[in-house]
Amino acid sequence: MPPADPSPDLDESINVTQAHDRVVREAAAAAREKRIADNGREPTALWLIVVCGIVAMIAGAVLGDAGRFFAYATTFRPDYVRAVPEGADATGPEPRAALAAFAARGSRIYSAQCQGCHGSDGRGGSGYPTLSGSEWVIGDTQTLAMIIINGMEGPISTGETYGVMPGQATSMSPQDLAGVMTYVRNSFGNETGDVTTIEMAANAFEISDNRDSPGAPVNAEEIRAAHAAMLPGDPLDPEILVDPISLEPVEDHESAGAGS
Amino acid sequence: MSSPNPPTTAADALLRAGIDRSLRHPVMFFLTSGAAWLAVSIILGMVSSMKMHNPTFLDGPGWLTYGRIFPAHINTFIYGWGFQAAFAAIIWLMARLSRQECRNVGTILTAGHLWNLGVSLGVLGILSGRGTGMPWMEFPLFAWPIMLLSYLAIVVWSFIQFRLRPVGHTYISQWYLLAAIIWFPWIFLTANILLHFITGHPLMAAGINAWFRSALIFLFFTPVALGAAYYLVPKVTGRPVHSYSLAMLGFWSLAAIAPWAGMQKLIGTPIPYFLPYIGAAATILFFIPAVAAAANLIKTAIADGKVMAYSPTLRFTLAGIVALVILGFAAVFLNLPGSTLRMTQFSLTGYGFDILALYAFFSFVMFGAIYFIVPRVTRREWLSTRFIRWHFYLSIYGVIAVAFVALFGGLMQGAAQENWQEPWVNAMTQAYPYVITITIAWTFVLVSNFFFFLHLLLMWLRLGRRSAHPTLLGQDDHAFSAHGPDGESNDVETPAPAH
Repeated sequence: MPPADPSPDLDESINVTQAHDRVVREAAAAAREKRIADNGREPTALWLIVVCGIVAMIAGAVLGDAGRFFAYATTFRPDYVRAVPEGADATGPEPRAALAAFAARGSRIYSAQCQGCHGSDGRGGSGYPTLSGSEWVIGDTQTLAMIIINGMEGPISTGETYGVMPGQATSMSPQDLAGVMTYVRNSFGNETGDVTTIEMAANAFEISDNRDSPGAPVNAEEIRAAHAAMLPGDPLDPEILVDPISLEPVEDHESAGAGS
Repeated sequence: MSSPNPPTTAADALLRAGIDRSLRHPVMFFLTSGAAWLAVSIILGMVSSMKMHNPTFLDGPGWLTYGRIFPAHINTFIYGWGFQAAFAAIIWLMARLSRQECRNVGTILTAGHLWNLGVSLGVLGILSGRGTGMPWMEFPLFAWPIMLLSYLAIVVWSFIQFRLRPVGHTYISQWYLLAAIIWFPWIFLTANILLHFITGHPLMAAGINAWFRSALIFLFFTPVALGAAYYLVPKVTGRPVHSYSLAMLGFWSLAAIAPWAGMQKLIGTPIPYFLPYIGAAATILFFIPAVAAAANLIKTAIADGKVMAYSPTLRFTLAGIVALVILGFAAVFLNLPGSTLRMTQFSLTGYGFDILALYAFFSFVMFGAIYFIVPRVTRREWLSTRFIRWHFYLSIYGVIAVAFVALFGGLMQGAAQENWQEPWVNAMTQAYPYVITITIAWTFVLVSNFFFFLHLLLMWLRLGRRSAHPTLLGQDDHAFSAHGPDGESNDVETPAPAH
């Protein structure tokens, strides 16, 4: 059908049939379209309501799972501990060989308290003696313990004299002392291969307290006279598995080690 | 109770033809450049999928590494293809529904070129290693203001057309399109400002990014596709929408639920405890708007089974709507915090869900719209039934394979990842066959889109059939001559089947 009101003054030169055909062709796709009718008013199907209801209940259960949304005091305990993954024994951290565990603890203390002077490679530097191969480091453990706890003045084992080393043990626990001693005796080229145990470290503190002048730096004379000995205490197998936090041997290390 | 369909008058036909003519250039520009980006994106998707099972494939220069190819793949898909298809659908549908010709073609075309410039520079930015590393927002920082401005310059006219519409009824499609027009700047601005300028804790940034991705699907692509589907299905079948109240339920539940979704991706991380749970619950609830709309549209369509057999528009649209139902079910089953959600965090499943939403649902509805719109704006009919059929079947086989293999293979992969006593590489080994399947499936999709792009390009060059009769499926490929069926009048009044 041509446009509704054809112009009355149609130019003679226009071929009406052609013009009609053009309009028809150009508007053909638009003309064959159907109109969008009014919306239907069918009722919502019951099954749809039921299915959506079930899904809404699932979503509700998920929300319910979340606990009390903003009550952080109940959802997060203050002393948070990591959850034990499924299939793992509740043994805490994985046990390690004693030498590695003690040295790891000692390495942290070394970088905090010792590295500033003795260097990250333990070789000292201008004004500070090396720990690598030092007689008092790899020799008697009591000597090393006294120097760490009380500090040191005067000539060292090689006879050279450096400044005064202050005592380092004011905030150290026996575990820390045992760790740092094991670390320096087994690093920087030192390889004694033994572990200074917590018991030995505790004894070292006791020996230090019983000195004539507790807290004063030791000197070569006192070391050679009174402290040229190993610390008393039972030695620990360097390969035995210990808890890396408490450094205590793991009782059932056979079963605990099997999981790793 | 619906009133019978009023007949199309000549005045109607001329008005429609005028609107279509006014929008010819921007619509065809968006569709062809969108289809070109789609092809680029699928090639990048294939390459990145191939790298998953064959890490030495194209491992030379830096710009070919997975960390750049994969973001380029997904960003070209979204901003190159998805948005441009959405632009074409929005401006054409809004003009038609508001019964006004477009008077701002020049601005829209300019902005369209600007958008393409932003996307091109953004992709080059990603490939040259300047990506931001935030999924779906990887374009370097300069890109997003360009894109936002050109977005506004493109769609604001549709908004104005809606405001100036003839008084009367607002159709369902208009709700969805208007909502999408408004929602996108909101989510885009929110995400970009919170991630680039008012930055908080990096974990919350990851949460905001997850929210942005979810919102882009649920608050932009979903309403655009539903707006188009609510137009196409009644238009092609000539039947009223099944239930107005169901449509209302679908729209308002989407508006109420979708903004909450997204942060479930961060479950198990130390962000405020309720966020992942609200995200999971909202994504599960997405089932309701999805199924309400899908049931409404399917019930509208299936009353006349014959139309579905021959109309390419209806076939693509309904395939997309079926994908929406599957998407709704996937949203429920993949977001249960106790069981499945953890397995979707680092596995292929998330990708499968995205492809299901972006390709199987959104893109299919857009293809349906394209098969409807292009003959109208170019005034030529589609050239080849065979091309359309190949596009449909190869696309549907391909995307079903990509989505389902990624969804279920990803769940297996996720379960293997959860087993902390096994090395991580075992999980990838487990996913190996699925990744190979995805590569093969992308090949199907690529071939299908080669035909689609070629077909669209020919239409854009105005090489389509000059005929008053539509190209329909279910007929012999050679039934039509290049100049329309023989021996038939091409009068408008000839009762031609709906297209």
